Amino acid sequence: MTGEDLRPQILVRDVTKSFSGRVVVDIDELVLGDVPVEGLLGPNGAGKTTLMRLIMHSIPLDGGTVTLSRPGQRDVLLSSTRTNQMAGLGVVKSTQVITDFEHLTILDSALLAVTEARYERPFSAAADRTVRKRHEDEIRHWLDYFGFDDPLAVALSGGDKKLLDIVRCLLLQPAVLLLDEPTAGLSEGHTERVKAAVRELASRGTSVVIVEHDLDVIWDLCDEVIFMAEGKVLLKDNPATIRANPTVVKSYLGAGSA
Amino acid sequence: MNLDWLDAFLIFGAFKVVEIMGLGLLVHLQLGLTRVANFGVVGFWGVGLYAFGVAYLKVDWPFGDVYQFLVCAAIATIVAAAAGLVVGWLISDLDDDGTLVGTLGFATIVVILATTQQGLTGGALGLGGLDFPYDFGRVKTHEFTWLLITTAVVALIFAYAWRVYRTPHGRLLIAVGSNEALARSLGKSATAARLRMMMVTSGAMGLLGAMHGVMVRSLEINSLDVSVTLAALAALILGGTARVFGAVVGVLLTVALFDIVIQFYIPIPDGWNTQALPVAREAVFGAAIVLMLIFRPQGLLGQMRRPALMRRLHGDW
Repeated sequence: MTGEDLRPQILVRDVTKSFSGRVVVDIDELVLGDVPVEGLLGPNGAGKTTLMRLIMHSIPLDGGTVTLSRPGQRDVLLSSTRTNQMAGLGVVKSTQVITDFEHLTILDSALLAVTEARYERPFSAAADRTVRKRHEDEIRHWLDYFGFDDPLAVALSGGDKKLLDIVRCLLLQPAVLLLDEPTAGLSEGHTERVKAAVRELASRGTSVVIVEHDLDVIWDLCDEVIFMAEGKVLLKDNPATIRANPTVVKSYLGAGSA
Repeated sequence: MNLDWLDAFLIFGAFKVVEIMGLGLLVHLQLGLTRVANFGVVGFWGVGLYAFGVAYLKVDWPFGDVYQFLVCAAIATIVAAAAGLVVGWLISDLDDDGTLVGTLGFATIVVILATTQQGLTGGALGLGGLDFPYDFGRVKTHEFTWLLITTAVVALIFAYAWRVYRTPHGRLLIAVGSNEALARSLGKSATAARLRMMMVTSGAMGLLGAMHGVMVRSLEINSLDVSVTLAALAALILGGTARVFGAVVGVLLTVALFDIVIQFYIPIPDGWNTQALPVAREAVFGAAIVLMLIFRPQGLLGQMRRPALMRRLHGDW
């Protein structure tokens, strides 16, 4: 890592993944995090979500390595790190499919994200309020920001669950944040808030990678766009150049989109 | 203490109610909170019973009564907790069906070991010689006192289960039980959470096994049958797996109904108590499980009421 790109990076090398004989990811080398916000673009089946899952090691790689590189710290081989250790290393991913904890309230979810392991042991004397006291300001900030009126209720709508997923990710104070379709199903107002939150996070040093089918989000937010197709990285450039590229227009955007 | 008014069988019936209530509360933590379907409850309880009995009878302790009981009960708790850790690790990657079969298999192993290791356990003949850690003179007084002590232990288990909901530990267990992948993505070790929970609850099941040993004052292989697991599960499913009071209500409607109300207060023909009633009891418990799972799977008390609890805990948010 050179002095001018002092930002956490994910280094993907010789990574391959196949499902039932079909190659879905085949990347020789890819560096994520050399700009604040990157977008992953490509048609369905391009391998974007699979690449994110490979980075998080929620599915095993067939070959290659994924490495986390952070300024002033030793590199960590993510491809041999357990999924539950990723958040501790600062690598956090939102979920593509809307998901939540059954029974837990919105405040529960937020508290769960910020609670340190020492408070979660069977005979820990810590009461819930101890954890709340330690993290109340940050939780209140993000819940208010996204307009959760009643944090003591269970998130019911798909939109609330989607936003809550993002809140959990933000509360983890990630070094690298992978967002998989973060604005899918959100209102225009909430989409703008997500974009503003991402910008703020990136300005504070977090490397953000976004997969998003809402192209306006990609063009507005990203400093660089990576175009994938059939598991390979075909292009990596600034949004304007990608948007005008004939290959992208032909295989993804369609004529008249530029 | 004059206990002439009290039937000795009633003491034993009440003991059974309290004991199953304790086991039901522990199964609630496993199944209701963490979604670990333990069908080998009698295995962990039996490990405690036999570890206690063997330690009590086969070791020449330099002290007696209270200290001997405390040391042997501690051994029973530790051995059962270790069994919970090992079984929990073995089933950690299994789905619900695998967990059911795995825990049932563990219980079977315990019964086989208790039967075949005659030198230690007495095998099918069993071993006598266990005793109360005090001497007040009359057996009935001893048994009644033991009932009170066991009730206090179960009250502590209830208090623990009640408090778990109010701690970060409980929230973690609910999260792991309802969406393990999401919990992992937040940096939570689902395996460690489950193993810790299995250790604590299995250890407590072992302690209840040790307390049972004192009450019956012997090791009997017949006590290790599936009726222990069935009673705890039937009660919990009837009351509601996801509610702390589920086990309490369920035990009152099942074990208490059969082992106290019907046996002592309903006029039934002679001989039924020892033959027909126990068989009918198992059949009714089994039917209760099936019917509840079909018509009201959440039990009589219904689903977990987390928002209401959170409003009590964080109403000033």
